[in-house]
Amino acid sequence: MISNIIPGLIMILTSFLLPTIPQYFRHPAMLLSVGLSALSLFNGYGTFLEWDVLGLNLILYQSDSLTFPFSIIFHIAAVLVIIFSWHSKNLMEHMATLAYAGSAIGALHAGDFFSLFIWWEATALTSVFIVFAGNTKAARDAAMRYLIIQVSSGVLLLIGACLLLYQTGNHNLTVLDLTTDFGIFIFIAFGIKAAFPFLNGWLQDSYPESSVTGTVALSAFTTKLAIYALARTFPGTDSLIWIGAIMTAFPVFFAVIENDLRRVLSFSLNNQLGFMVVGIGIGTELSLNGTVAHAFVHIIYKALLFMSMGAVLYRAGTTKASELGGLYKYMPFTTIFCIIGAMSISAFPLFSGFVAKSLIMSSLGGMGMVLIYFVLFFASAGVLEHSGIKIPYFAFFAHERKSKVKEAPINMLIAMGIAAVLCIGIGVFPKYLYQILPYTVEYQPYTIDHVISQLQLLVFAIIAFLFLVKFKLYPSEIRSTVLNSDWFYRKMLPGIGKPLFKKIGLLTELIYENLRFFFRLILNKSQKFSNSSYIKVTTPSFAATILISILFIMLLIVLI
Amino acid sequence: MKKNDLKSMGKSFTKYILIIGALLIFLDFTFHRHEYFSFAEIYGFPAFFGFISFVFIVLLGKWLRKFLMRKEDYYDQ
Repeated sequence: MISNIIPGLIMILTSFLLPTIPQYFRHPAMLLSVGLSALSLFNGYGTFLEWDVLGLNLILYQSDSLTFPFSIIFHIAAVLVIIFSWHSKNLMEHMATLAYAGSAIGALHAGDFFSLFIWWEATALTSVFIVFAGNTKAARDAAMRYLIIQVSSGVLLLIGACLLLYQTGNHNLTVLDLTTDFGIFIFIAFGIKAAFPFLNGWLQDSYPESSVTGTVALSAFTTKLAIYALARTFPGTDSLIWIGAIMTAFPVFFAVIENDLRRVLSFSLNNQLGFMVVGIGIGTELSLNGTVAHAFVHIIYKALLFMSMGAVLYRAGTTKASELGGLYKYMPFTTIFCIIGAMSISAFPLFSGFVAKSLIMSSLGGMGMVLIYFVLFFASAGVLEHSGIKIPYFAFFAHERKSKVKEAPINMLIAMGIAAVLCIGIGVFPKYLYQILPYTVEYQPYTIDHVISQLQLLVFAIIAFLFLVKFKLYPSEIRSTVLNSDWFYRKMLPGIGKPLFKKIGLLTELIYENLRFFFRLILNKSQKFSNSSYIKVTTPSFAATILISILFIMLLIVLI
Repeated sequence: MKKNDLKSMGKSFTKYILIIGALLIFLDFTFHRHEYFSFAEIYGFPAFFGFISFVFIVLLGKWLRKFLMRKEDYYDQ
């Protein structure tokens, strides 16, 4: 019977029950619900639940070789987040997190665009409470902006789905292209959540404002759900190669100068999505495997990095580079875990990033795409800069710390430990990851050419860092705001809109005043006229005079 | 005493990284490194590319501060 329940649904139901469960049992209950949902992984591939409603056949639960790896990693991410937040008593955040993870897992198993839309909006509505749980004014404001953007993405998806149904009579998840209007609507809807260039502002705006534990949950699901959706509907779309390449390159410059380390990680997240988007754009079996593998390992090491910064925020009270440094003495385990995450994302051999990124790079190289190949190679140096060096260096080293802080709580260390073991485990034994990928492809990441090439890139990039620090060329940490694409709707639009609406308001008032004067004039004249001896005898003379005057004016207007 | 900790760590880290770097360049001369693009097979190409990319990213990022950096309370004003 459990095989027909939509994966993730049980997590959502449990989230509603959480308030009735005593505090002490909440986390075990959450873990249990993830475990029950994960039983669906043993169901195999196929369509398990359909629902005919309003003449539409909704496919609520289907699974195949593409949903499978995503479903595994979403369940793992949910477990990590629950363990990491074990110390927290924030009920609202726990409910939102569990329902959010459940919605994302549900979305993976939707077989048509309307079911996907429902889950798409469910992830938006549940995750906004996680941003809210940051519980600062900045977090609440960011949450409202986040909600507007996320719901807009859903609305575009719905428009696309309706157009698709209307024009083709089909609404199942199929491969689309950009020659159709519904294709474009759906593409933009996915693009918003995948943080395409200029649609990315919400990500760096909201994620760093969330709580210590909330950001970890946020980093795992929404964007990777969008990657899954793009991989399902737009594989081999050429424009994605360029979009992805831009995504890998441009955030690295922002990450260099950003002061808030959780925001640096959000730029880094954007850059990582770029690699995945390029893989979808190439559209070969090898590259799509690369995208899925990258999403899989990325969720783990990005969660690990966000967890380490969450632990820093929890203990030191800030993640601003300008106020951190020297924590390695007080938080040695967190430091080690953070460095493991940093080495994984930088794609050092024997770490998980290496075995995933290699697939995408090899597919680019194999197709002779020289420019994109080197943009991504360049971006790899960028990843090392912001996530590999900047994060651990400024948080744990840089300079001595004056005040003492405690090591992270045990539950945080356990969650980080599991993630770190997975990072190294996948890096050392990539065949287990490759086995669950959508396509069967023989691939060997550990060739001498590849290992030496990657190590040269990384080691000499580190030497460049040491060189820049030595000669004081490395930019110092400054408390600041770095402008991003959210500037357009946070500053530019209000900047244009406010004075414009003020002017429109003044103009409307002027017109209204003149009209009032004009009608008063008509009123006075007609009153005088109706009281005069000429038409005194007719009864509704006053009203008639007004009507006649108005008709006369209208006639004049028509004639003119 | 405390200050020396980080400094000495930095020094030994630099030393080991330079040794590894030298070793990697040396290794490049011992075998023919196959790459997808022939120009990338030049000795030490990835090393050179990594070094230049890193410096470029940092210096360009630093220059972009002129255009992109605002006060911390910029959006609250």
